[in-house]
Amino acid sequence: MKYRREASLIVLVGALSFLATLFDASFVPANAIDILINSIPTMIISCGVMLVIITGEIDISVGSLLGLLAATLALLSSTAEPGLGIHPYLAIAIVLTVGTLIGLGTGCLVVYGRVPSIIATLGLLIALDGAQDWLMGGGDIKHFPQELRYLGTGTTIPINLILTILVVAGTGLLCHKTALGRRIYAVGSNPSAARLAGISVTTTKLFVFALTGMLTAIAAILWVAKLGNVSTSTGAGLELKVVTCVVVGGVSIRGGRGRILGVVLAVILITMIRTVLNFMDLGSEAVKWQRAIEGVMILVAVTSDHFTQRNQPGGKS
Amino acid sequence: MSRTSKPLITIENISKSYGGVQALSKVCLNILPGEVHGLCGENGAGKSTLIKCLAGVVSPETGTITVDGKPLSHGDIHATEAAGIAVIHQESTAFLDLDLVENLFVGREIKKYGWLNRRAMERQALAVMHRLDVTLDLHTPLREFSIAQRQMVEMARACLRDCRLLIMDEPTASLSARETKTLLGLVKQLRESGVSVLYVSHRLEEIAELCDRVTVFRDGRLVATTPIDQLDRNQLIGQMVGREINALTRREEHAGQTDEVRASITGLYSRGSFSDISFEVRAGEILGIGGLVGAGRSEVARAIFGADRYDQGEIKIDGASLKKGSIQAAIEAGIAMVPEDRQHQGLILPMSVSENLSLTILTEITRHRLIHHGHETAQVQHLMRRLAVKAANAKMEAASLSGGNQQKVVLGKWLAIKPKFLILDEPTRGVDVAAKAEIHRLIRELTEAGMATLIMTSDLPELLTLSDRIQVMCEGRIAGQLDGATATEEQVMRLAFPRSEAQLT
Ligand SMILES: Nc1ncnc2c1ncn2[C@@H]1O[C@H](COP(=O)(O)OP(=O)(O)OP(=O)(O)O)[C@@H](O)[C@H]1O
Ligand SMILES: [Mg+2]
Repeated sequence: MKYRREASLIVLVGALSFLATLFDASFVPANAIDILINSIPTMIISCGVMLVIITGEIDISVGSLLGLLAATLALLSSTAEPGLGIHPYLAIAIVLTVGTLIGLGTGCLVVYGRVPSIIATLGLLIALDGAQDWLMGGGDIKHFPQELRYLGTGTTIPINLILTILVVAGTGLLCHKTALGRRIYAVGSNPSAARLAGISVTTTKLFVFALTGMLTAIAAILWVAKLGNVSTSTGAGLELKVVTCVVVGGVSIRGGRGRILGVVLAVILITMIRTVLNFMDLGSEAVKWQRAIEGVMILVAVTSDHFTQRNQPGGKS
Repeated sequence: MSRTSKPLITIENISKSYGGVQALSKVCLNILPGEVHGLCGENGAGKSTLIKCLAGVVSPETGTITVDGKPLSHGDIHATEAAGIAVIHQESTAFLDLDLVENLFVGREIKKYGWLNRRAMERQALAVMHRLDVTLDLHTPLREFSIAQRQMVEMARACLRDCRLLIMDEPTASLSARETKTLLGLVKQLRESGVSVLYVSHRLEEIAELCDRVTVFRDGRLVATTPIDQLDRNQLIGQMVGREINALTRREEHAGQTDEVRASITGLYSRGSFSDISFEVRAGEILGIGGLVGAGRSEVARAIFGADRYDQGEIKIDGASLKKGSIQAAIEAGIAMVPEDRQHQGLILPMSVSENLSLTILTEITRHRLIHHGHETAQVQHLMRRLAVKAANAKMEAASLSGGNQQKVVLGKWLAIKPKFLILDEPTRGVDVAAKAEIHRLIRELTEAGMATLIMTSDLPELLTLSDRIQVMCEGRIAGQLDGATATEEQVMRLAFPRSEAQLT
């Protein structure tokens, strides 16, 4: 069955909601919106990382990149020391540009430098993390202008949620309805056949990395807007959460396969698990449980991926 | 030949279906000891499926297979091996990153004190290569071998083991005359030593030369098993397709041929692969390139298409110089190339038939930045009808098509761009007789309408029927040119062999 993964994720989300309702009848209605809002950064970045993984590469630097971009935005726009207090729209434009350029740079490293993407982005993860610490110089940054905070806390219309829905819908269209989307899948499934069909493997990969950079910038902006606080640990560990969601969502780590719907469901499921665990008042136990559950989910996802896919010749070289 | 009438293998009522497709229905067949048993049928008739059942790669839904009266458990590769059945599958199962020796011995390495005994393995490998009369480097990863060379490796792997039944699924599809001859000789030798062979081929001459009995399949059903001497070529075709087919005959007058030079290649040179390649192809003309496997034909094709770089020379299309090493530029200039290796280079196997066919015309079917479903379906349906692709539907994965139908999809994807200059590298590898005649007709029709065609093929009859002119390559050079209307197989072969060898044969 084509939509097996999506179906099982829906069942899991349903089962979890049901269990939560047993504990507390008001849990789901009270938390549904919160869960969605909390999942926003992961959701947006997962869209990019999903495309990267479909082309047969991976990007594990997104957590540090989000941290660095959040720090940059904070420094540029914060109205208190050490912020520069420049106009928030200008700051946003700068952050979007920087994010896209860093993504493009990562792509160049992988495509032209022929560094395996897992290694290149691991290096980047560490380097960007260092850059974030250096920029922040220790303390947290707070006090942001209203225009910026509005993006994350707008009361009547949740702008961040609408933006996320647009990103998800855009990614879905890109994947399944555009020429570029077809090329992304083709490159991931069989690079040499894709090349002989006149597809530029290089451009396709550069595009997905650059797009991931840009989406990470959007996520960083919404993050700062919502929390109004940036610290040196902002974004730490996010890359693992993102990769978990993408893999659990049914995207094959070997490239060439995966759908946006599965990824969206996986993001919701995993955010929900975290919320439920927090809610259960386990204190520090919550983190342990969360890790164990997510770990098992990755293993199950990857193994079932292995069993459902026949061994295809061609493909990776 | 002495033949006990007790069959070695008995297949009874084997059925297998894939989703809605009945690939095999109630097939009964027996194979006698020491016979070469031919298996024929159109693309998608179920030949490879039967072989996969025998090999234990797939499990049939019903039926039994017995070896020497002992039942064989379904879907068990080890049981098959233990029963002495060796299989050469239609699509190579080689490990591309391992070298020749490692490939030959994978899974049954020779060990000494628990360590690999590389020396012994190399010795045996050399011996078997010698027996097959091929010279291949033992230490090159298989990725660098051509399809035909990989086929010989598969063959060597099967020969290394003592087996009682050797199953060969289109072993000669990508071989040229010389390798084919060696291979046929080898099969005869095996038969002499009492080994049974189940032999699948679309080349009917081979079937006639080699087989004792032929079984014909049509749409998953067994039509008949007949001793070869009671069957002539036309009857065999009749059993396969259920109707007459008229194969293309040679073209006497060159209809549609013009003086307009479409492609001109001058002094093409690439270190280690070919040198001094110069020729012209006119609009409305089919230029055939013959030669042995490894003569450098595919390399030339890839260089012209921009898939590989070359060191010297110039390629002009319609008088304009073509950018080196850029596939996009080549496609822009109206060049299309059907590569020799459909599984690794021609198709995106996990994608659907429809997605594969439209891969080259994505911009054409895009409206307002989105792929227009209606346009895509229309194009895909048109191509599938034109090439008679047999698939349950267009959404089916390309991987699940039969070999010949996969080949048609690769061809279709390139015909979709309506090329001005079409390069075909083994275009009918594994395509059945009827479909082959159809494809030949299509190529000629398109060429008469003004396309220029360059065809590299190891299939001599195909080379002779299709080409207006023939050039023969030998060891990376053009050894000579022949007129398509008058050339004979002997003339082509004489040019194809290296000088030193020609004197010996
Ligand atoms: N994995 C699969 N999934 C779905 N259908 C399949 C699969 N494998 C084979 N088929 C279908 O079964 C039928 C028989 O295929 P098979 O490969 O046995 O044909 P064949 O006689 O070997 O043809 P060819 O001469 O082209 O190699 C075809 O219609 C094919 O599409
Ligand atoms: Mg077959």
